[in-house]
Amino acid sequence: MSALLIWIVALPFAGSLMLSILYLYHLKVKKVEEIYFSLIALLTPLISFLLTFWIFLKASDKKITFTAFKWLKVANFDIDISFLSDHLSLFMALFVSFIGWLIHIYAAGYMKGDEGYGKFFAYFNLFLGMMLLLVLANNPILMFFGWEGVGLCSYLLISYYFSDAQNVVAGNKAFIVNRVGDFGFIIGLSTLFIYIGSKGFDYASLQAHIGLVPSSMLSFIAFFLFVGAIGKSAQIPLYIWLPDAMAGPTPVSALIHAATMVTAGVYMVARFHFLYSLTPNVGEFIAVIGALSSLFAAIIATRQRDIKKILAYSTISQLGYMFVAVGLGFYASGLFHVFTHAFFKALLFMGAGAVILQLHHEQDIFHMGEMKEASKIVYWTFLVATLAISGIFPFAGFFSKDEILFGAFASGHYTIWAVELFTAGLTSYYMFRLFFTVFIAKKSSKRVEKPLILSPFVTYPLVVLAIGSVVAGFIGAPKILGGSNAIAHWFSFFGDEDIELSYTIEFGLMILNTVVALAGIYIAYKKFAGINLQNEAKIDGLIYHKFYIDEIYDALIVKNIQRLSWLIYAVFDKKFIDGTVMMIAKSFYHLGELVAVLQNGNVRFYAFSMLFGASLFFIYLMQVMG
Amino acid sequence: MTDLIFIILSLSAILSALYMVWVREPIISALSFIVTLLSLAGLFALLSASFIFLVQIIVYAGAIITLLLLIIMFLNIDDESLPKEPKKLLYMVLSAILVAPLDMALIKAVGTLPKKDMSIISNFGSVKSLGLTLFNGWLLPFELVSILLIVSLIGAIVFAKRKI
Amino acid sequence: MMSIYSVLIVAIALFSIGIVGVISRKNIFIVYMSLELMLNAVNLMFVAFSRYFHSLDGQIISMMVIALSAAEAALFLSLVVLLYKRKGSLNVDIFNSLAQKRDNL
Repeated sequence: MSALLIWIVALPFAGSLMLSILYLYHLKVKKVEEIYFSLIALLTPLISFLLTFWIFLKASDKKITFTAFKWLKVANFDIDISFLSDHLSLFMALFVSFIGWLIHIYAAGYMKGDEGYGKFFAYFNLFLGMMLLLVLANNPILMFFGWEGVGLCSYLLISYYFSDAQNVVAGNKAFIVNRVGDFGFIIGLSTLFIYIGSKGFDYASLQAHIGLVPSSMLSFIAFFLFVGAIGKSAQIPLYIWLPDAMAGPTPVSALIHAATMVTAGVYMVARFHFLYSLTPNVGEFIAVIGALSSLFAAIIATRQRDIKKILAYSTISQLGYMFVAVGLGFYASGLFHVFTHAFFKALLFMGAGAVILQLHHEQDIFHMGEMKEASKIVYWTFLVATLAISGIFPFAGFFSKDEILFGAFASGHYTIWAVELFTAGLTSYYMFRLFFTVFIAKKSSKRVEKPLILSPFVTYPLVVLAIGSVVAGFIGAPKILGGSNAIAHWFSFFGDEDIELSYTIEFGLMILNTVVALAGIYIAYKKFAGINLQNEAKIDGLIYHKFYIDEIYDALIVKNIQRLSWLIYAVFDKKFIDGTVMMIAKSFYHLGELVAVLQNGNVRFYAFSMLFGASLFFIYLMQVMG
Repeated sequence: MTDLIFIILSLSAILSALYMVWVREPIISALSFIVTLLSLAGLFALLSASFIFLVQIIVYAGAIITLLLLIIMFLNIDDESLPKEPKKLLYMVLSAILVAPLDMALIKAVGTLPKKDMSIISNFGSVKSLGLTLFNGWLLPFELVSILLIVSLIGAIVFAKRKI
Repeated sequence: MMSIYSVLIVAIALFSIGIVGVISRKNIFIVYMSLELMLNAVNLMFVAFSRYFHSLDGQIISMMVIALSAAEAALFLSLVVLLYKRKGSLNVDIFNSLAQKRDNL
C-alpha cells in the first residue's frame, strides 16, 4: 500500500518523459497524431487520482510513509526520497490530482490544433508530477524540490507562446520573483537545519525537536519560510508576477495559477503548523499580509478590462483569505478555502477560456457581451462559479469564506475581519461586473458575430467542476446549519482552537456576509447589466494602471540591479579582474622581452658576454685559490 | 745575447699586435700583423723549433696574410664605407678590464712551474726528428689534416662559384 | 733571462690583445686578424712547452694548427667576398638576422 505513494508521484513524470520522446519523434522523424499525445497525457493523471482515491478509501486514518532510497548523506545532512500520506497531504493530493485530470481533459480540447501539442502536455504532466511531489514529500528538501519544479513548469508554460517576446518576459518575471521568495525560504530552512537538522530532517523529526530551537530564532525561521510563500502564492509585495502570468494558455492559468501551484504556500504554512503555532506574532503578520493583499488586489480588479487579469487579481485576493486563516491559526478553515477555491477558480478560468476560444482569442470584456446565447453550458457553469466566489448560500464559497471571517471575528482581530468583509463585497462586485458585461450586456460591435462551437472536451469538465462548486462546501458545513463540519474533524490534528460564540453572533455574521455579497451584486447589476457595449468604453486612472506598482518596482529595483550588474561587468570584471590577469600574463612577456635583448644576433656581443662570464668565473677562482 | 734578442722580439710582437688592433685601415693592420708574425717566428727559433720557424714564415706570413692582403685590395674599399667605430677606445678599455682576471689567473698558474733551462739546443726541432715523430706517432691526425685541407679547397671553390 | 715564465707572459699578452681585438672592432678583417693572433699566441705556448718538457709533440701540434689556420683562411676569405657582394659593408654588426624579433604586444 505504501508503495503506491511513489507510483502516484512517478506516473506523471513517466508520462512527461514519454510525451517528450514522442514529441521529439514527431518533430524529427514523422508526424504523430494528436490522439496519441492525448492518450498518454490524460491517462497518467487519471491513474494517479485513482491510486490516491484508493489510499483515501482504504487507509485514510493511518499515517503512511514510504522511503524509496537515500538521496544525500553529507555529514548531518541526511535526506531520503520518502513520501508521506497523512490527512493533510492526502487531502491536497486528492483535489490536485482530480482537478489536474479535469484540466488535462479541458486542455486537450483547448489546445487542439496547436503545433506544440505534445510539448504542452509534456510540460503539463511534468507540472502535475512536481506538484504531487510537493504535497506528498516527507521532508522539506524534497518538498522544496517540488516547489522549485512547479516554478520551473510555470515558467515553461507561461512562455509557451515564446515567439512573442512579451510572453517570455512574463515567464522570466514569474520565475525571478519566485526566486526572490525562494531565497527567503532557503534562509529559513537552512537556519532550521543549523539548529535541529542533525536529529533528522523529515517532518516528524522536525515536529518532535522544534522545542530545541531558541525562541528568538523561531520567529526568524517562521518569517523567512513565509517569505517563500509570499513569492509562490503571490502576496504583497511579490504578487506582481501573477497578472503577467496570464500570458500563458488558459489551461495553464487554470491549473497552475488558480488551483494548485499558488496554494503551495498555504500548504507549506499548514505543514509547518508546529512552528507557526509557537510564533503567533509571525502568524499575525501573515494574516495582515493576507488581508492587505486581498484588499489591494480586489481594488485593482474592479477596474480591469482583460478577463484573465480580473481573475488573476481575484486569485491573489482569495489567497489572501487563506493566509488570514492559517496565519491566525485556523488551519482547517484555510485548507477548506483552498479546496473550494480550487473548484470555482479553475471553473472560472476554464469558462473564461471557453469564452476566449469562442470569440477567437478576444480577451477584453468590453468587446464581448451577450455570450449567454453562445453557449448555455458556459453561461450556467460560469454563473455557478461566480455565485460560489461571491459567497452566496449554498454554494461552496459561502461556507469556506464564512469560516474564515468567523475565525477572524471570534479571535478578536476586528480590523482584519472588517477588511476581509469589505473585500468580500468588492469580490462579488467585480465578479458580477465581469459576468454581466460578458454574458448579459448588449453585444459590442467588436465582437465576433458567430462564436465558435465548443468541443465536449472543453464543456464536460466545466459541468463536473460546477457540480463540485456546489457540493464541495458541504464537507465543511457548520453545525448550526445542520452540517457535521467533517473537514474540521479531518484536520483535528492541527489543534485548531474551537471558539464557541453564541449562535446568534454566528448566525448574525453569516447574514452580514450574505448581505454584503448581495449588495455587491446589486451595484454591479445596476451599473453593468443594462449597458450597451456598442459604445466604446474608456477606462483610465490610477486603479486601472494597478497603482503603477510595476513601474515603481522597475524604476526602484530592476533598473538599479541592471545598473549594478553593468557596473560589475564593465568596471569590476573587465578592468579589475581581466586587467589583473592580463597584467600578470603581460609581465612575463615583458620580462622575456628584457631577456631577449641579450639575443641580438651580434656575434661580438656574444663573445663579449662569454668573456664577461669567463672573467667572473676567474675572479671567483682566484678568490678560492687565494 | 739571447735575452736581448728575446726582449726585442717580444716587445716588437706585442707592440705591433697592439697597433694592429688599434689602427683603422685594414691594410696597415695587415702589415702590422706581418710584423707580429715575423717576431713570433723569431721567438720560435729561440725556442729551438727550427722547422716551425720556417713554416711560420712561409705559410703564415707568406701565404695566409698575402691572401688576406689580396682580398682586402680586391674589395677595394674606400675610407668612407669602412665601418664607423665611435666607441672603439671605450670598448677596448672595457674588454681589457674584463680580460684582466683571466690573465691574472693564468699568470698565477704559470708562476708555479719550476724553473728549467730554456737555452737553444741543436737537433731538437729539426726536420728529421719532427718527420719521424709525425709519421710514427701522429699519423692519423696528419691524414685528417690533409683531408681537412682538401675540404677547405673544395669549399673555397664552391663559394667562389656561387651566384649571389 | 728567457725562462718559461717570460715566454708564457708574452703568449698570454698576445692572447689577451687578440680577445680585445675580437670584441671591440667592427671591421671584419681586423676581427679575423685578431683571431689569428690568438691562434698564434697558442702556437707560441705549445712550442714553449715542447721545449720545456723536451718533447716534440708540442711542435707537431703547432704545425697542425698552422695547417688548420691556412684552411680556415681560405674559407673565410671566400665567405667575406660573398658577404661583401651581398651586403656592401664590412661591418660585422649588420649580420643579425638570427636575433630575437621584438614585436609590440
